[in-house]
This record gives sequence, C-alpha cells and structure tokens, in this order.
Amino acid sequence: MNSALPSDLIISGMGVVSPIGIGIDAFRTGLLRGDHRFAIMQRPGRQTEDSAFLGAECGEIHLPRVPARVLRACSLPGKAALAALDEAWQNARLDGVDPSRIGLIIGGSNLQQRELTLTRQKYAERLAFLRPTYAMTFLDSDLCGLCTDLFPIRGFAYTLGGASAAGQLAVIQAADAVASGRVDVAVAVGALMDLSFWECAGFRAAGAMGSERFAEAPEQACRPFDEQRDGFIFGENCAALVVERAETSAQRGAAPRGLLRGTAVVMDGNRYPNPNADGEVRVIREALQAADLKPGEIDYINPHGTGSPLGDKTESEALLQCGLEHAPLNTTKSLTGHGLCAAGAVEIAATLVQMEAGRLHPSRNLDAPMNGALNFVGATARVQNVHNALCLSYGFGGVNTAVCLQNPRG
Amino acid sequence: MSSDAIFKLIAQHTVEVIPELEDHAFQRSDSLGNLGANSLDRSEILMMTLEALDLKVPAVKFHGPKNIGELADAIHEQRVAV
Repeated sequence: MNSALPSDLIISGMGVVSPIGIGIDAFRTGLLRGDHRFAIMQRPGRQTEDSAFLGAECGEIHLPRVPARVLRACSLPGKAALAALDEAWQNARLDGVDPSRIGLIIGGSNLQQRELTLTRQKYAERLAFLRPTYAMTFLDSDLCGLCTDLFPIRGFAYTLGGASAAGQLAVIQAADAVASGRVDVAVAVGALMDLSFWECAGFRAAGAMGSERFAEAPEQACRPFDEQRDGFIFGENCAALVVERAETSAQRGAAPRGLLRGTAVVMDGNRYPNPNADGEVRVIREALQAADLKPGEIDYINPHGTGSPLGDKTESEALLQCGLEHAPLNTTKSLTGHGLCAAGAVEIAATLVQMEAGRLHPSRNLDAPMNGALNFVGATARVQNVHNALCLSYGFGGVNTAVCLQNPRG
Repeated sequence: MSSDAIFKLIAQHTVEVIPELEDHAFQRSDSLGNLGANSLDRSEILMMTLEALDLKVPAVKFHGPKNIGELADAIHEQRVAV
C-alpha cells in the first residue's frame, strides 16, 4: 500500500530525546560527532541479580513547564513524549492553531513495561494497597491523555502499534490524516519504549538483542552491518514530528524542515521476527513510485540497520536488488541504540538534521562492513548534499515501512 | 494513632500527590476537592494513607466524609473497629 502525497506536505517541526542528546541541537551535535552512551544499563528494573544487559540510556529530561503534580505520576515514556512534543510544538509555532484541527498519533505499544514491572514487584505481596493511578498509567493511551491534557490538541489522539516500525508508521498515518483533510496538523510521536529486564531477556532469548560477544566492551556492542554484529542494542529514544501542508505552516512563519514525498507500508504475511527481502524490496519500490523517484535519484538512505545478523544481511540484499548501491548510508542506531517503536521517527529526524547540515553522521563500529557493495559512511562524518532521502523501518510480525523525504532547500 | 495524627498523614500525602500545596496550612475543614484533588487524586491520597497505617479496608467505606477532618475521623473509627 503506497501513498502518493500532495506535493506540499511537509514536516514543520521536530523534537528529540535520545541518549546522545535531548533537543534537536544537542542531537545534531551528538550525531555529527559520532557520540554514544552504551553501557551496562543502570535504570531500576532493567537488570536481574545476574544480568548485565547493554543499552544506551538517555540523560535527565527537564520539563520546567509541566506541573509537579503531573510529573509525579508520569512514566519515562510520558516525560520523553512531553519533551519531544514541546520542542516540536515550539519549532512549528503551533500556538494559535485551531485545536480541533490538530491530531496526535503516538507510535508504539507496550511502552511502559519497566514501570509496570517495578509496580508489580513493589505490590506483589500488598495488592490491597495498589495505587489507584495504576488503572490509568498502565495504558499506553495514557500518553495520549497526558499530551492532550497539556497541549491544545482536540482533533484526535491514539496510539498505533507496529513493533519497530511503529514510529515511522505514525508519521505515515499523520501524513495520510493531513492529506485527507481530516486535520490541518498531525503530530507523530515515536514513543520511548521502556524495556524491563523481562523484555530484554525475551529479546536476548530470541536471539534479537546482542551482545554476548561484546559483554566486556559495551562501546563496541552496537555495530549494524559489521561482520562482528550479534544483535541490536537498546536505546532510550523518542521523537515528535509535526506534519502539515506548506501553506498552513507558512501562515505561522514556520519553515519546512523536510518535504514528505511518498510513503509505503507492506506486510510480509509473517507473524514472526524474521525479515523478508521480498517485503523490503516491495516497500522500497512502492515508496519510490509514490514519490515519483527513481533509485538513482536517492542520495541518502537511513536504513533500519539494527545489528541483527540476519536482519542486516536481508536489508543489504534488498537495497542492492532495488539498485541503491550508489546511495550513501550510515547507521543511526550505532549512535542512539535501537529505539524500537521510536526508531522510525527518530531516524526521520536524524535524516532531516543531516539534510540541513549538509553532512552525514559517522557509523560507529563499522570496522568490517558485511557488504562491500554498499556505500557506507564510515568512522568520520561525510560532507554530502542530500536532495532525496529514503528512510526504512521494519518490525516483528512482518511489517515494512518506507518514507521518501526531500530537501526543501533544493 | 489519634484522628489528628491521621489528619497530618492525609495532609502529608496530599502534598505528595499535589506538590503545589507544599506551603498550604491544612485545616480539618479543608476538602480535598476544593484543594484541587480530582477523584483519582483523592483515591490515591486515601490509599497512601491506608497503606501507611496498614489498614486493609475497602475504599468504599470512606465515601461519606466531606472534608479531611471527617476523613481522618472515619479512618480512625475503622482502625479501632479492626
């Protein structure tokens, strides 16, 4: 299923929370410098007595305008969503827009697993005293309530599941909501997925999460497309992207950050985690067709690239089959970690940041690229004017998504 | 524990739930609703107080009180009854 979008559909605002920086300015600096925060995770609820799961945790999220009573019962995904939304809102100058014409899509499901684990541990023997707020906060849609309570969004708000493609799926749905005229402005949030040790253990057991090989060297563990990769490494990430038509943003003096040219969603017909080259090829071709672009016109790819042994191999094959071997690509997850349901939104933000900077960020730990035919950016940033970019996200359960972005500055 | 001590406990938990009331001089005649506590806040404050007292009584037993003083009295009565 592809969507040929109106020619003036844009992203007018961005906000990011990531391990390498909170806020677009810090994120840009972190990206272009090739920063990382990979370590044995420290947040309560992430480890058992004998585990040492690796990941990249974000710094403290400051929300000076959010009332203390709201913050008291606010989960980490909630705080991250508020911070990213606030930045994107200011960036797009959304104050004054008719609230009934603004919608919100929170990409992600099962977001607050760590908080749930901590609560259940605390009250396992004292169920009679379970805090009433649990009835509200265990719901993913609490993030919709939280965001619309604090921001004048009255059109619609819902969460949208799509595993590791959820963030990009939210952007695609936001584009469709604006293109159809349902709202004038749709904000897509790729939500922070707050894993507990249960999900870490499950991902590790399934062979999806690394890194046993680099257990003693966390900074080397996250290595998408490298010969030594052994699975994804988690990262606490969140991004908000404001989608609207150029005309409405121009009325408020908000400059376009990127043009949305075409999108596609394709299912493999496969419940399981394994990737499928046919599905990936189809989604890339459909997105290019929707954007009316030929493979040769793509001059940057932000791949899904998680560090999964089979996933990266499959993705490489799909990119080559689509005739994209010429296009530079790098590995955002080697800096941010895998944000799971946030990844697709964070990586669209990373793509737009690089478009604006005219530079592509380094890929960490890509010491021995597994496929020499692809045009990887290596250990140092590369000067590159990006006109047409292709962003890819793939998720468990056979979901493939693709978004074509264009540089509004030509 | 006296009703006054329970009143102080309720006030303490009210500030925990609504930190903006940190400087409020609590009176027994204060109603949680008038202090800005919504229904979930009120349930939360009650549960925190019951937990602090280790008093396992259904929350429905405390639906009648009109202010913090009456709530403190009601909790006190339940403690005595248990």
